[in-house]
Formats: sequence, structure tokens, C-alpha cells
Amino acid sequence: MKWRRIWALVKKDLMEFTKSKYVLSAIIGIPLLFAVLIPVTTLLPIAKINPAEFEGDDTFPSFINNLFASSVDDWASLNMQAQTLIMMAYLMFVMVLMLPIIIPAVTASETIVGEKERKTMEAILASPITETEIVFAKIISSLIPSFFATFIAATGFTIITDILVYPFIGQILFPDFLSLIFVLVFGPMISIISVELMIMISTKVKSVRDSYQIGSLVVLPLIFLILAGMLSFFFNSIATLIGGVAVMVVIIVILFKLATNIFNREKAIIKMT
Amino acid sequence: MLAVETRNLTKDYDIKKEGKRAHLRAVDGLDLAIEKSEIYSLLGPNGSGKTTTSRLLAGILRPSVGGARILGLDVVDDASQVRSIVGLLTETPALYERLTVRQNLTFIANLYDVPKEEIKPRIEELIDLFDLPEKIDLPAGSLSKGMRQKVAIARSMIHDPPVIFLDEPTASLAPESAKVVRDQILKLSKLEKRTFFLCTHNLFEAERLSTRVGIINHGKLISEGTPNQLRDLKKDETTTVFKFAVWNDVIKNFFQERNYDVLDINPERKSISIFIKEIEKETPTIIDELIKQNLPMFEVRHEYPTLERVYLELVMSENLPRNQEEEES
Repeated sequence: MKWRRIWALVKKDLMEFTKSKYVLSAIIGIPLLFAVLIPVTTLLPIAKINPAEFEGDDTFPSFINNLFASSVDDWASLNMQAQTLIMMAYLMFVMVLMLPIIIPAVTASETIVGEKERKTMEAILASPITETEIVFAKIISSLIPSFFATFIAATGFTIITDILVYPFIGQILFPDFLSLIFVLVFGPMISIISVELMIMISTKVKSVRDSYQIGSLVVLPLIFLILAGMLSFFFNSIATLIGGVAVMVVIIVILFKLATNIFNREKAIIKMT
Repeated sequence: MLAVETRNLTKDYDIKKEGKRAHLRAVDGLDLAIEKSEIYSLLGPNGSGKTTTSRLLAGILRPSVGGARILGLDVVDDASQVRSIVGLLTETPALYERLTVRQNLTFIANLYDVPKEEIKPRIEELIDLFDLPEKIDLPAGSLSKGMRQKVAIARSMIHDPPVIFLDEPTASLAPESAKVVRDQILKLSKLEKRTFFLCTHNLFEAERLSTRVGIINHGKLISEGTPNQLRDLKKDETTTVFKFAVWNDVIKNFFQERNYDVLDINPERKSISIFIKEIEKETPTIIDELIKQNLPMFEVRHEYPTLERVYLELVMSENLPRNQEEEES
């Protein structure tokens, strides 16, 4: 693989993204929406409830208590309102982690099917760049906005959530070990899987619209990977998490092989015409 | 070593016809031998296989049968090397509209591994060559169709390729821009010994530029030769025009009484067009007689069949049944 060609393609894609209002609004707008709207619409109403309404003998089921007691300090000593806020914050954090799935659906569709639709792909295919280099470059250029968007959203979500939750628990909730692992390790890996799936779909379809429609159906089940990862961490701690990461690495490698096998110069040209 | 050489080059596409899978033969047994620094034009109607041929030769498509070599490199076994030594202007010269002309050209130069220090001077050279200096930092999307075409041609030459395939190079250009492109093709071919393979509908262009012309129909090469050789195929259809200083019926009667095959009488232009079977033998005789009769003839002109006429007759008379499609059993 020649890095110069890969980087040329990545740089070109990123320049195009920054000049596309549609892609730019998806990369910046959606993360901001997730960062602000989610905590404000879910945590703020709970924080505004009169604490008296939480008084009583009600408790969460024991499995929820066990789940959070293992990762939140002094969980048992917190009142019901604080526990509800923490639980909602973690649930909503899962929503933020959907960004590594959603953003590649936009960027990968744009960068492969968009090139086919606008017929700019032919000039790339006519050059000496290999199919593997094209797929690799497209993965990187689709991933960078996804990392960027997830980072913006997670940072925004963390700040707003901490502002809302701190008065109730007397400490900052995020970033904790779990959120850092998910933003810095799980999120990017989910993103890579999402991009690879989108690239496989993009090589098969003719229009960006088809790519969005099929892609959103195919990548949505990835949310279960996030939930499974999070729950496995709660229940079984780091060993399971490392196992989960190893499984995802295997999935990434297999999907990369599949994507490079599916992406074929000749078929790409024929599909364009 | 030949610049372009094909042997029985054939390309089949899988298509769906009436719900069944079928083969469409786009290129059918093409044999070409193009020397270095030639300008070879492939003429043919839409769907005749011109674009598929240039894609096969540029190493993007793989032949179904037969093969091709570009400067000795096999288009299948050495496809990557072939792609690095050929330039290809595609049928749709799509540029990245949001990027500037410079960014478009730099991107492609990097894909072709043009040495970094050579990219800037090369871009400037091409920009000057195609008369685009004031457009270099404008987004490609803001350019006119003709300008974009010129940028796309420059893009196909960014890596200094010795063999260049141009699909309809002047299709969307204004006459003055088309002339700039034609002049550059001639210059690059003559001075820098580059080989050009043009796919075109523009018969005037093919006639003026090409060292040789191939006519393709239904994927088959139906005729090939220099423009003169092709015109000579219809040599016996040359018409002779006689022009007179004064027009009168005596002139008309002169030709009609001698049973010449009169094609057109134009009293306004004071001219008459006739068809003569043996031009060299009969023309001097007619001139002698006209002079003897004191008819005020002041111009005699032979109108040879144009390449357009030859092309149209060849393509229209090509009545091959389209039996290339074979349904899969």
C-alpha cells in the first residue's frame, strides 16, 4: 500500500466534507444536538422535580442496584433522585455512542456512492491506486469525521451532564473509566465496523439515497454491540471488555477483507454507466 | 515497440434482458496496431464500443477474450503500470466541484505519484497550455462546461503520460477553445512524440488531426486507414463543379445534350455539378469543349467525398444482425 495515494484520497475527501453544507451540518449539527438536547430533555426534568417526590421506601430492583453499585462510588448512599439521574445519564450516554454508527452512514455513503453518482470515481479508478488503497482511504476519510463528531458530542454531553448531576451527587460523573473506554476504544471500533458495512453497501448500490436507506437498516443492530459491551462491563468488568475488544478487532479485520474483495474496479465502472 | 496493440480484443457485459441474464458484446475482436506519436481516432455511433475500448486499453476493464498491450505492457498482467503510463479523459469529465482547479489537479497528481516538487510547475504548465491561468483557484463547479472540459483534459495529462486516451475531447468546447485543444494535441504528438487515441463523433476533428482513423460499429472495426485512404473508398463518388462568369441555357444544354450525369444546376451561383466516372480522363475533354464553345467557364473544382460521407455510408450500410447477445442456457 502506498500511503501517499491513500493520504491524497483522504485529504481530498476531507476537503470535500468541509465544503459540503450537508455533510458539515451532519458532522457538527448532530453531535451538538446530541450533546445539548439529550441531557437537557432527559436529565433536566428529573433534576427539576421536587426532591420530596422521591421520598419513600421505593428502591430500584436489586439487579439495577447491583449493576450500578459495581461502578458508581457510594451508590447505596445516594438518594433516589440522584440514583435516577445517574441511571438516566448512563442510558443517555448510550445514545451519544450511536454517533459512531450514524455519522459513517452519511460520510461513507457520500464518499463512495457520491463519487459514483457524480462520476468522479472514474478518474480515481483510471489511476494506479489499488482497490485496497481506495477502500482503506475511504475508511479513514469516513472515520475521521465520526471520531470528531463523537468527541464533540461526548465532551458536550459530559459537561452538561456534570453541571446537572453534580449538585445531587457531589462529584463529577463523567468522564469516568467506562465513558473513556467507550469514547476512546469502543466508539472508534464501532465506527470502523459501521464504515466497513457502509462501504460494502455503497459498492453495491447506485444512489446515495439507496445507500442511506439500506445502510441505516444494516448498521442499526450495531447499537446492540454498544449495549452488550456496556452491560458486560457492568457485570463482568475488564476481562470481558478486553474479550469484547478482541472480538471487535476480528470483526473489523474480516469486514475489511470482505470490503476489499467486494470493491472491484470493473464493477464500479460498470455500475457508474 | 507499438504504442497500442490489440489482438482479438473482446469485451462482454452481463446484462438483464426481459428478466433473463444475457451477454452483450460491446467490443468484438478488435485488432489494432498504433505506432508511437500517432493520433488515432476511433469513430463510431453511440453504443458502438468506443468508450469500452478506451477503458480496456487504459487498464480499467479486463478483456473477456483477447488482449492488449500499451508500450509493451499487458493491460491485464501489468494493469497498474499501464494505468500509470496512460492518461484518460473520460466520457463525462467529472471534476470535484467543491474543490478548486488546483486542488483537483494536485489530487490526481498525487494519485499518480508525480514527484512533489514537480506538481506545482506541471500544473502551471498545463494551465498555460490550455489557457486557464485565471481559473486556477476557482472552484471547479463555478466553471463553464467548456472550461471544465479543458481542466479534465489537463488532468488526464498531469502525470506526463506517453499515451493519452481522450473520449470526445472537444465535445463541449466553443470553437476557439476546441482549436486550442486540437493545436495542443498536434503539438504534443509532433514535438513530444506522444500517442493520442481519440474517441469521437467529430468527423471534422478526426479528419484534421488524425494520422489514422478506425471506424467501429457494433463493437467491430469495419474500416481503418488514413483519412485520405478512407476518403478514397468513395473516390468514384467525386463530383465536379463548373462555375461560369455568365449563366445561360446554352450551358445547361451543353451538359444535358452530352448525357452527363447532372447532380445540381444552380443558376444563382452560375454553377453546375456533374458526376464523372473517370475524372482524370474526362475533365480535360469537357474543359476543351467548353472553351471551344466559348462558354465563359472560370472555375473547375472536384468535390471529393468527405470523411463524414464515407463514415455515414459505412455505418449505415453496416447491416450486421445484432447477434452478439446470447441468452444463457
